[in-house]
Amino acid sequence: MKLSLSFFVVGIMLMLLQTTFLHLLPLGPVVPDLILVLCVYWGLYHPTVGAALGSFLLGYSVDVVSSPILGLNAFAMSLVFLAVYLSSRSIWLHHPVVSSIVVLLASLVKGAALILVWTVFLSVDGFWTGAIRYILLEALVAAVLAPVVFALLRRGQAYLEQIRVAA
Amino acid sequence: MFAFLRKNQILLSSCFCLLLSLYILTAAARGQLRNDPIGPILLWVMRPLQIAAQATTNSIDEIQNSYSMLAGYKSENEKLRNRIQQLEVERNQLLEAGATNRRLQELLEFRSHLPSGTVTASIIANSGSSWFKSCLLDKGSADGVRKGMAVVTPLGVVGQVVAVTARTAKVLLLADPNNGVDVLVQRTRARGIVSGSLDNGTILKYVKRSEDIQEGDRLVTSGFDGVFPKGIVVGTVIKVRKQTLGLFQHIEVMPAVSLARSEEVLIVKADVNQEKN
Repeated sequence: MKLSLSFFVVGIMLMLLQTTFLHLLPLGPVVPDLILVLCVYWGLYHPTVGAALGSFLLGYSVDVVSSPILGLNAFAMSLVFLAVYLSSRSIWLHHPVVSSIVVLLASLVKGAALILVWTVFLSVDGFWTGAIRYILLEALVAAVLAPVVFALLRRGQAYLEQIRVAA
Repeated sequence: MFAFLRKNQILLSSCFCLLLSLYILTAAARGQLRNDPIGPILLWVMRPLQIAAQATTNSIDEIQNSYSMLAGYKSENEKLRNRIQQLEVERNQLLEAGATNRRLQELLEFRSHLPSGTVTASIIANSGSSWFKSCLLDKGSADGVRKGMAVVTPLGVVGQVVAVTARTAKVLLLADPNNGVDVLVQRTRARGIVSGSLDNGTILKYVKRSEDIQEGDRLVTSGFDGVFPKGIVVGTVIKVRKQTLGLFQHIEVMPAVSLARSEEVLIVKADVNQEKN
């Protein structure tokens, strides 16, 4: 419980980063999606009920801060968590190098989910063409950042588990 | 039964979250989600953090700018460089104070041309997603801000308020594909809708092929949408393409306001605004 709560606080901090500091990076219109990386990490290394709810809540938080319609990112992040969790049960995805590929694929899943939901609920003219470029750029950036974020999260998780064992 | 639930608890909770988000989406899309119970709490928790983080981000940005300004003085000796850096920091502070002063003066002057009761607000966060062009302001319903109000600066249109809590307001920017502003081409009075697009930046839509539109034409709000007061600059035409097929021209627009260079904005009260129109 304490670990899940700590992870959620980390998620909120990552969102703060996403809405402020990361806009300073020279990546054009693309903002690195650290929340997605966290959801993938949860799906791979910390698959709990708390993590599933956490993915939903973090997606919802992104919706509250940036999305024109509530539920878009909540849906996408929940789907990403579920997809990664189900995949990790049947395929060995825990190698550090593989983590980047998993994040890349998860980002593509998120993009596809957003397009699907966007098309159904918002029906914006000519949305498709621009969206593909965004999906690819966002997926690449997330994949590049994934190993670093994973290493930090794993270190934090190990530290918290150590404290729990000691207590 | 209990064993099944226990065994598949993660799967079931994930499916529950998916269904819940779809329910929220459907309700929000139909406009039935009047009271969002979690959003205001989240924003209430995050508001002070956002303000602090944004202030730090602005400082880092300033430092980056200062650093690039100082890059040319590398050949000078250490003492002089230190002195210059010190002076530069002081100068930056003074420039920043002067710039803030100028901005606020411009804002005040501009405000006098707008309907009374406009609210001045600061941008405290940018969009957390590459997919949406939005920002968060530090004023909310407690300050009289309501959903649907226009957000402008002396330079032009910024966007429209799409969600409000007591102390914050979410603004959908002009460059977002979900936004649309009714505009007039200042030179020819041709009408169209300025909207964002993910692939071409900001575009002017629904302008007939027969209309005379040229690069450099300025676009101003028409006032017909009942949101933006008439005559506020929206942007400048930067590219016009008449496709071989189709009723309309493809027109790309450079928005008048760059969010990266904006810190304060004005929120125009919709009811007052409508009175004016």
